[in-house]
Amino acid sequence: MLVLALSDAHIPDRAIDLPDKFKKLLSVPNKISQVVLLDNCTKSYDLLKFVNEVSPNVAIVRGEFDNAQLPTTKKNRIKESIPINTVIRQGNFKIGCCSGYTVVPKGDPLSLLALARQLDVDIMLWGGTHNVEAYTLEGKFFVNPGSCTGAFNSDWPIMSEDEVINKKETTEVDTNKQDEESAVKSEEPKETTSTDKKEKVEISNLDINGSNVPSFCLLDIQDSVCTLYIYIYIEGEVKVDRVVFKKEETQIQP
Amino acid sequence: MSYAETLEQALLTVKQQAMQMQRCLQQRKLMDALKHTSIMLTELRNPELSPKQYYELYIMIFDSLSVLSTYLAENHPKHHHLADLYELVQYAGNVVPRLYLMITVGTSYLKCPDSPRDEILKDMIEMCRGVQNPIRGLFLRYYLSQRTKQLLPEDATEFNANFIITNFIEMNKLWVRLQHQGPLREREQRTKERKELQILIGSQLVRLSQIVDDNLSMYKDQILPVVLEQAIQCRDIVSQEYLLDAICQVFPDEFHLATLDILLDATTHLNPDVSINKIVLTLIDRLNGYKDRQEQEQGQEQEENTTSKEVKAADINLFQIFWNYLSTLNEERPDLSLQQFIPLIESVLNLSLRWYPENLQNLNALYKITTQKCQDFGSDIPPNCEYLFQNLLTLQNSESSTLRPSSNFFYKLISQCESFGGLLALQSLPLQKSALNSILDVLLHNEVDFDDENEASSNEGFLIDSKENLCSLLSIFEPLTKLGPPMPSLDRKGSKNVKGTGDHFPADEDDNDDEGSWILDPIQEKLAKLNHVVFQSVVKSSDPIKDIEFEMEVLLTLRNWCYKGGKNIKYTYPAIITNFWKVIRRCHLLATRCDSENTKRHTELIKQNFKYVSRSTNDLFNMCGNSFSDALYKLNIQSASLADQLSLGEIAYDFFSQAFTLFEESLSDSRTQFQALVYMAQSLQKTRSLREENYYDSLIVRCTLHGSKLLKKQDQCRAVYLCSHLWWTTEIALIGEEEGVTTDFYREGKRVLECLQRSLRVADSTMDNIQSSELMIEILNRCLYYFIHGDEHDTHVSVRYINGLIELIKTNLKSLKMEETTTAKTQLAEQRLSELHIDDAQNTAKVSNRFVIGSDGSYIDVPTVNGGRALVSTKLNSMYINEMIQIPIQHFNRTCDYILNQRDVDDRFKVIVI
Repeated sequence: MLVLALSDAHIPDRAIDLPDKFKKLLSVPNKISQVVLLDNCTKSYDLLKFVNEVSPNVAIVRGEFDNAQLPTTKKNRIKESIPINTVIRQGNFKIGCCSGYTVVPKGDPLSLLALARQLDVDIMLWGGTHNVEAYTLEGKFFVNPGSCTGAFNSDWPIMSEDEVINKKETTEVDTNKQDEESAVKSEEPKETTSTDKKEKVEISNLDINGSNVPSFCLLDIQDSVCTLYIYIYIEGEVKVDRVVFKKEETQIQP
Repeated sequence: MSYAETLEQALLTVKQQAMQMQRCLQQRKLMDALKHTSIMLTELRNPELSPKQYYELYIMIFDSLSVLSTYLAENHPKHHHLADLYELVQYAGNVVPRLYLMITVGTSYLKCPDSPRDEILKDMIEMCRGVQNPIRGLFLRYYLSQRTKQLLPEDATEFNANFIITNFIEMNKLWVRLQHQGPLREREQRTKERKELQILIGSQLVRLSQIVDDNLSMYKDQILPVVLEQAIQCRDIVSQEYLLDAICQVFPDEFHLATLDILLDATTHLNPDVSINKIVLTLIDRLNGYKDRQEQEQGQEQEENTTSKEVKAADINLFQIFWNYLSTLNEERPDLSLQQFIPLIESVLNLSLRWYPENLQNLNALYKITTQKCQDFGSDIPPNCEYLFQNLLTLQNSESSTLRPSSNFFYKLISQCESFGGLLALQSLPLQKSALNSILDVLLHNEVDFDDENEASSNEGFLIDSKENLCSLLSIFEPLTKLGPPMPSLDRKGSKNVKGTGDHFPADEDDNDDEGSWILDPIQEKLAKLNHVVFQSVVKSSDPIKDIEFEMEVLLTLRNWCYKGGKNIKYTYPAIITNFWKVIRRCHLLATRCDSENTKRHTELIKQNFKYVSRSTNDLFNMCGNSFSDALYKLNIQSASLADQLSLGEIAYDFFSQAFTLFEESLSDSRTQFQALVYMAQSLQKTRSLREENYYDSLIVRCTLHGSKLLKKQDQCRAVYLCSHLWWTTEIALIGEEEGVTTDFYREGKRVLECLQRSLRVADSTMDNIQSSELMIEILNRCLYYFIHGDEHDTHVSVRYINGLIELIKTNLKSLKMEETTTAKTQLAEQRLSELHIDDAQNTAKVSNRFVIGSDGSYIDVPTVNGGRALVSTKLNSMYINEMIQIPIQHFNRTCDYILNQRDVDDRFKVIVI
């Protein structure tokens, strides 16, 4: 079972569209069984149409710029609210989905852990930070798919690439369960010579947007094993990383 | 001698006679053979046959005559002399058989080296005048042409051309005459027959083109004028349409290039009912095809002969010729309808695009003449013409694939051709809308790549180089900015409604102003995207400050443009605000990274941009009112966060204050309020520059106060315990802070504890036991958060406090369990109850997983099937009271498990009693 997690598209407020290569990757009908839209993905007709074609089974949680209700047709008078938390079930996993904007402090692992406990879930998906993250903590798996468009981020901007890596290392508290294998590891992005060239005054769009590249996650769930594929769009190429999370069999599921 | 009555009989006769003829030939009885031939040829006299039948007969006879012809040529002059025979056949009784025989013998004679060619040829073509019946005459002349094909003298091109032209002229006359034969009511039948016969005439033109080869001067001086004159003089629609089309098809491209004006001039003299545009379209297709082939050739071999040809083509200004032609037509033929005239313009437009892709003045002229034509037309354009204009405006028909207009092309077209806008404005609103929509789609695929010079795509995208051009681009789209939301019925066609799938349809209009409702509007969405595209395409210079100033100018222009959309600005303004934010960040990065000497100017610019943002949010509030206040509130908060990140405390404070004002005055829904407040707390917790002037203190106190005044008790409780974080700053690794290293975190444990105590009081006073217990457990988890984070004397959250809270929760859960039995007894669902008693432990475990409570207190019905989605509701359903009671119990159990697990890594947890 494949679950697609998209977050923070911010179309059309901050971004025009997903990268074409992402769209091409996702345009495989009947492959993906469920889509989770975390935060700020509901304002674009085009995006919703696209998502609906990927899979009609869509779970949505509300981001700060999503409206409280999904617009409905005239016939269907009862308006559906967009919740800020929801739970889906795939395989032996319960997956909590939570909008990043109601977690205080923002993106705090311990706060997320408390919420995961409250929702009684094994995997926690959250968004709002525009930065892709995945780590295990206390036997639970935490995944933030980042922004699927690389939209402008009003959080503290990331200053340099090294600091991003530092940050990830500190948040990945429990890495012993992760088999860090990269399935389709594209070659190390060649050191851009262009950065030297435009050194004069050029400031890249990435820096302005808050240094986040477009990314999304795909969870392949088989019984008690969740294989997470992280897709990142760097310099015109899609890079894929793979992380495996196995559920501890202490709790027996019916 | 007479002919058979039916085709079948005729065919039979022909077959028999042909056999007899061949037998006679074998026996060298030439006279008998000729007699049989003559009988066979009599069948061709039948006036009742349709062209198709006649043709069938003709083919059969032609084959037999070939046999005869071969025999005649082979046996000359051994057994007979062809000159004698030529005389002899003149005595055949009927004219048709006589002439066929004559041509057969004559052409056989031509094969012989000593024959008087010119005389025979002249004589034959003269004699053919003897048949004036159209069908019979046409076939006879066709026969002549077929027989003489290989036999015309080699070095006398002129003579040959004259021969064929004469034949062609006569054939055309016969062909035209056919139209006027028979009764008037059979006219259409005649026209149909003529179309079946047209290939016979066309074959003459093909022959001409073979004869003339590449002799342009001969074509220009002798052939084309005569053919055109013939076409014009006959005044016949079928003939004129066919002949001009055939001329365009048959002769080489180079000839057309050289004689374009003659050809076009001829079209103006045709019968008014002839559809000129078909002819011109054919011609332009050929010319464009020529250009394609030529470019391919050039790609393959860059030899001198191709270049010489190219010079020829380049010397002629094709567009000018067509333009003159169009002007003449416009003046001389006011009777031409739009349906006829617009396709002509479109053809010329395609020509211009193909041959002079850079020349926008051509297009401008074309749009101008179209505009004029439209205005002359006066009344509304009939709907059946609209697609023509759509094609003209969106250039969708132009060029199958090679020349799909790029975004850059449209940008130039719109900004430089004033007539384009003029023509567009004349069209009906739906047409404008659909045309603009297509153009928008092209523009949105603008690929500007500032970094990659080698990419081919870089020259396709447009660059905004001046405000004027931008203004003209935007003004084109003004009809779209003002459009209302699409009607649901229009929208629903495309995709089916699957409930809750995310593909949601616009609500009806009266719901427009509801707080939190949103109508998806694809067009406004595209306009919002256009803002980004334009902003990304702003041309860059070497002076960063000038660049930023220009970007701001562009943004202000965009804002003014969007403002005209009225309520629609709620779709477009957020995009503009985002881009102001981007400018702000760019300024800041420039100031800190590269250009430190201009810091002052940068700071000014940043402040200016914040003012623009503020003005934009004000506009939004004034235009959209409460329906947009939640989003506005958040835009203000994010602006504040941005200002804070740039250490602009005062600006940040202002934006936060504005957000609070919105909160107080415009947010009424309790759910919205709660979420908004949590968001405020989250954002405030990340600020770093508000310490001065006690901004931070006043803001967080205000936030907490609002939290404690929320409508629902559970919301109050949650908001307040979340606000406790405002007194407990946590690290932001991105700016170099680190837990344990950084010493100046804003932390006041006493306040944290106060918040927790306060929220506990609210939890305790909550009437709903389930919520009350759940809230206490949530507070317990919050306590554990602080417990992990620091020592008792920092956080003031002590083991004693936690243990007390656990005791309280246990007591509460006990009474909650009592409620389970009592309520359960009153429940009607007794079956389920009995089941519970039978299979206690396992069933409780099963049931326990059914519901959880979300971070806003909503009840989440966890799905039991794979791929299911939870039902989320804010209301407790008493039907499931037993399951609901399990929520806090299970949550507490999980929390206790967590505490037990933590004992392994942190000894302090061992003193927590559970």
